[in-house]
Amino acid sequence: MTSRTDRPLITATDRVTAADWREAARKAAEALVEVGAADTGYPDACVRVVEKNGPYIVLTKGLALVHARPEEGGLAVGVGVTRLAEPVAFGHPDNDPVDLLLAFCTPDPDAHVGTLAGLARSLSGGLADRLRAASDEDDLAGVLKEAVPDD
Amino acid sequence: MTDITEERGTDMALDRQLEVLAVCGVGMGTSLMLKMTAEDALRSLGVEARVENTDLSTARGMSPDVVIGQGMHTGEIADLAPVVITISDFLDKDGLEAQLRERLTAQGWLS
Repeated sequence: MTSRTDRPLITATDRVTAADWREAARKAAEALVEVGAADTGYPDACVRVVEKNGPYIVLTKGLALVHARPEEGGLAVGVGVTRLAEPVAFGHPDNDPVDLLLAFCTPDPDAHVGTLAGLARSLSGGLADRLRAASDEDDLAGVLKEAVPDD
Repeated sequence: MTDITEERGTDMALDRQLEVLAVCGVGMGTSLMLKMTAEDALRSLGVEARVENTDLSTARGMSPDVVIGQGMHTGEIADLAPVVITISDFLDKDGLEAQLRERLTAQGWLS
């Protein structure tokens, strides 16, 4: 069953340690599971996306958009930011290493468009730098909340 | 109605909306980001365009004027459109705009 919430669930985790990109992506997606936005299978689905299609989810310098298809476990629209203690390499030719991960999930292919569009606008407007400058986990969450529209 | 496919690859100016496809592996997250960057770049260039986003396998059944994707997917999108553009930074509007200007001008679609 899918449910549409009025506003996306937002989560933030800071100083996360990860041995490699798989662990980083899994932990970023795990935060969505913890807030109830995604099912338990979602983190592994996010890892498989990269295994299958390559590290293209590293969409700009140092930042990966961790996501999988809605039917892989999206329960609500959710956006999480994970800041790594130490950056990891995804194997991207230009955008490695990655220190910021935005994890994203949605229950159906249409529910998320407004949220992601807002996120894209914010990223173009320097969101990544504001996230990197955040003082702690609460600050990270606050910065992300500002960047994601209520929809 | 004229058959628009006859104009493919010729030097004629487009008298219709440019069809642009932003492609990524899953077809919803990353390609949506790319779509928005492309829309901004095309707007700056003053090009009337419709930009859609999709995944690699769906893209194979489509025939846009321009396809934009990741360099690492070049092999899979190379023969999809007369103009194939690859970028590594999906948020780099200026870089995409420069590539679009050059390639669309070369096609005679932008003067």
